Amino acid sequence: MSGLQAGIVMAIAAVAAGSLFEVRPPDAYGICMACHGRDLTNWVVNDVTGWRLTVAPASMVFPLLTVVGVLIGAWIAAVISGEFRFRKPSKPVQNFLYGVLVMNFGLLAAGCSTRLALRVGAGDPLGVIGFGAMVGGIVLATFWIRRQALR
Amino acid sequence: MTVAAVASLIVGITIGFVGQRSRMCFVGGIRDWILVRDTFLLKGLIAFILVAWVAFPLAPLVGGEALGGFGTPIVSAVVLTALGGFGVGWVSILANGCPFRQHVLAAQGTGGSMVYLAGFFTGAVMFHTWVSPFVLELI
Repeated sequence: MSGLQAGIVMAIAAVAAGSLFEVRPPDAYGICMACHGRDLTNWVVNDVTGWRLTVAPASMVFPLLTVVGVLIGAWIAAVISGEFRFRKPSKPVQNFLYGVLVMNFGLLAAGCSTRLALRVGAGDPLGVIGFGAMVGGIVLATFWIRRQALR
Repeated sequence: MTVAAVASLIVGITIGFVGQRSRMCFVGGIRDWILVRDTFLLKGLIAFILVAWVAFPLAPLVGGEALGGFGTPIVSAVVLTALGGFGVGWVSILANGCPFRQHVLAAQGTGGSMVYLAGFFTGAVMFHTWVSPFVLELI
């Protein structure tokens, strides 16, 4: 399957989830790995500890399960295609910190890279700003890693 | 509300499957284009935005809810969104994939991405316990 086809399928799934199947409010919330992951984590933490961490209105009663779904779907695809193979993490501390940082930046922007793109499609001015800034970050970081690699 | 949970699970399985077969990544497209002029993933990103842009107005025609409309953003929100967006882009490149791609990699056995996800979910609790109150204090 090509990237182009994946983009089309994912966009239709995202819009359908948000507009037809109550994955809202907020608007354009169909797919977001950061926000839905936050909703699931915080919902479980709230349930276990009785805290009151923020959860999006769409996840108030029962959390969105996008994260679980993606893991299941990708695992099925990997097993069918014979691509499932455990690889030991080479830099676990670094990877952990990247995860922490991306989640924090993502929640600050109210969306991971996927939802920022979705908000651009929805015409949200803040989404366009966030997406533009993200493209800036990607471009600079790419030149940075290339410089590091060539040195 | 349970409809949303079930729908998000099905959507998740669908996009997870598709994402594994296509190696789809929302930051990788721009990176690959800059480094080697490869447009495989970039086409996916552009198609995602264009299809969403067309599909949002179409959804009400088949019984879906229309978008509520977006007001003019306030300055502090613009600054925070720009900072957050920049950070997501920068760190995702260092981490070698957007959050979606990391979930897919973790599901196909990549240990580094599993550790990334552990940090990811820890980060959610950290954000709402410390970072968010701190940011609200600032603005």
